[in-house]
Amino acid sequence: MSVVPVAPVDVRGARWRLRLRNARQFARRYASRRDGVVGAAILVFFALLALAPQLFVGALQTVTTATGGPLEPPSGAHLLGTDEIGRDILNLTVHGARVSMVIGLMATLITILLGAVIGIVSGFLGGRSDQVLMRLTDFFLVLPTFVLAIVLAPIILDIVGTDAELFGIRATLLVIIVVIGLTSWASTARIIRSQTLSVKERMFVDRARVIGGSRAHIMRRHILPNVVNLIVANTVLTFAGAIFTETTLSFIGLGDPFAPSWGQLLNAAQQSGAPGLGAWWYIVPPAVCVVVVILAFTLVGNALDDVLNPKSATR
Amino acid sequence: MNARYLARQSAQAIFTILMIVLLNFLLFRMMPGSPDRVNPRNPNVTVEQRDAARARWGLDKPLIPDQLVAFVGSTLQGDLGYSIKFQGQPVTEVIGDRFGPTILLIGLAELIAIILGLALGAYTGWRRGGRADRIGNGLSLILYSMPYFVIGMPLIIIFAAGLGWFPTSGMLTAGASYAGPVEFLTDLVSHLALPLATISLGLIGGYSILMRSSITETRAEDYIATARAKGLTDGRILRSHAFPNALLPAVTLIAINLGYVVGGAITAEIVFNWPGLGTLTVDALDSRDYPVLQGIFLLLGVSVVLANFVADIVYGYLDPRVRQ
Repeated sequence: MSVVPVAPVDVRGARWRLRLRNARQFARRYASRRDGVVGAAILVFFALLALAPQLFVGALQTVTTATGGPLEPPSGAHLLGTDEIGRDILNLTVHGARVSMVIGLMATLITILLGAVIGIVSGFLGGRSDQVLMRLTDFFLVLPTFVLAIVLAPIILDIVGTDAELFGIRATLLVIIVVIGLTSWASTARIIRSQTLSVKERMFVDRARVIGGSRAHIMRRHILPNVVNLIVANTVLTFAGAIFTETTLSFIGLGDPFAPSWGQLLNAAQQSGAPGLGAWWYIVPPAVCVVVVILAFTLVGNALDDVLNPKSATR
Repeated sequence: MNARYLARQSAQAIFTILMIVLLNFLLFRMMPGSPDRVNPRNPNVTVEQRDAARARWGLDKPLIPDQLVAFVGSTLQGDLGYSIKFQGQPVTEVIGDRFGPTILLIGLAELIAIILGLALGAYTGWRRGGRADRIGNGLSLILYSMPYFVIGMPLIIIFAAGLGWFPTSGMLTAGASYAGPVEFLTDLVSHLALPLATISLGLIGGYSILMRSSITETRAEDYIATARAKGLTDGRILRSHAFPNALLPAVTLIAINLGYVVGGAITAEIVFNWPGLGTLTVDALDSRDYPVLQGIFLLLGVSVVLANFVADIVYGYLDPRVRQ
């Protein structure tokens, strides 16, 4: 009787093959959602604009580098006309993509980080910590976040001053980012917590505990991977909300005139009386961008939610 | 309705309101402009004068409990301090003057949006997957993605600046004298039309999307199949079986939204220069009129908490399962 050589099991390779198969399966299911695909295409387009606006329209125009007369309607030289100090609207709108998307992205990261950590910790630990964290969440959920942001932003600005900078982002924009992040994590925390509650009852969590895994280890390696689907879908929807809030805050005058987002442009249009003058070219481009981007994020978020969370697919 | 549920909800509401008052207190201490922070750098102010000012405003007493107790006490008595911008007028008066126009505008807008939004959502959900659904739901999603000012500014360009059908701003024609109530009402309505349309359109999307998903869930219920088996017409099933049951989540959203009525559409008010709480908020923001901002924050916070409380109670009444 001869010994049959057993081929060494390639655990790592098997794991990668499994991941690849899951990714393919996900891509196939996502591709069947036409609204999701359209939304994703729109987002790729705006991401390109945000990454390198100067490639498309040159450097951001300022008062000194403005190329036209005040409030000129669209023409060959200025495809979308000019604003009240002669800057090209196309130039401003394309550069606005960068500011709006960066603020949206950073605010979303803060929101998701706070929401995911608080949700997982609260759901996994349970007991007293859960109660305290959920009271806090309820409070932020009920709080009129938008008004809190309005009250908070000028106070923070007055304290740190408008000239402060962090990572090259001016204080005015940082305040908007932080204010959006601090005031919108509560609903994410709620969703993540309820998923954590059901995941932690599963057998593999008990097994991990029996072989001596610490609580931090279990949360990181066993709970987190099982709520990550939810986090992804929620991130995209949060992004839509962040851009919505940023646009509104900038519109009421909390934006940065030196780094104009779409909301800031609309604020300038309102201030210069563009609506009453019938200067539609000043308003339509940034307004359309805002609506299209928020809509695209919503479409992608809903599609992801249906594909990643089988439970919600019936909705 | 059991007393325990009621007590728990009330306790939660009171706790949240106290937290809001506390937050208001802390924000107030963070603001620039206290005698402590301004005066030491000023050579014209002696230490005695500074101490006198501190004593006059109670800043020499410890933050907690003395200052906190005084603050909570005066807040409970309805004393919210004095406006900086409006020459020392009490904050409650400043806010009170702007209350009516906002309630008129947003109350009407909510009414229109609730009726149209729920009807649109129910119809698209009932015809899910059909052409009416694709158009209706697409429209709702687009409206849901639009901030109020993005709706309002094009409306001004088209209907006010372009066609000249409506005035661009304000609530009444400035300096106008009216021959009678009819002229007054006509003027008011023509000013009201565009902002009302803006806010209604902005609210319809949310109501419609919620109602659509709710009615889709209801459609799969057994009692709908039963109603169909009884031979009822499609419209009848929608009206008397699906709609009332699908209304439950919508009722909660409506109640919660009513809490935002007061501060709801700040940006819409700005676009149309409507003399309500929204324009007041932004004016106060521009001139850093913190007492007024704080008053608005308190008012909104309390009304949102109360609306949530009402929503919980109504929900508990309509759906006995949540009372446990």
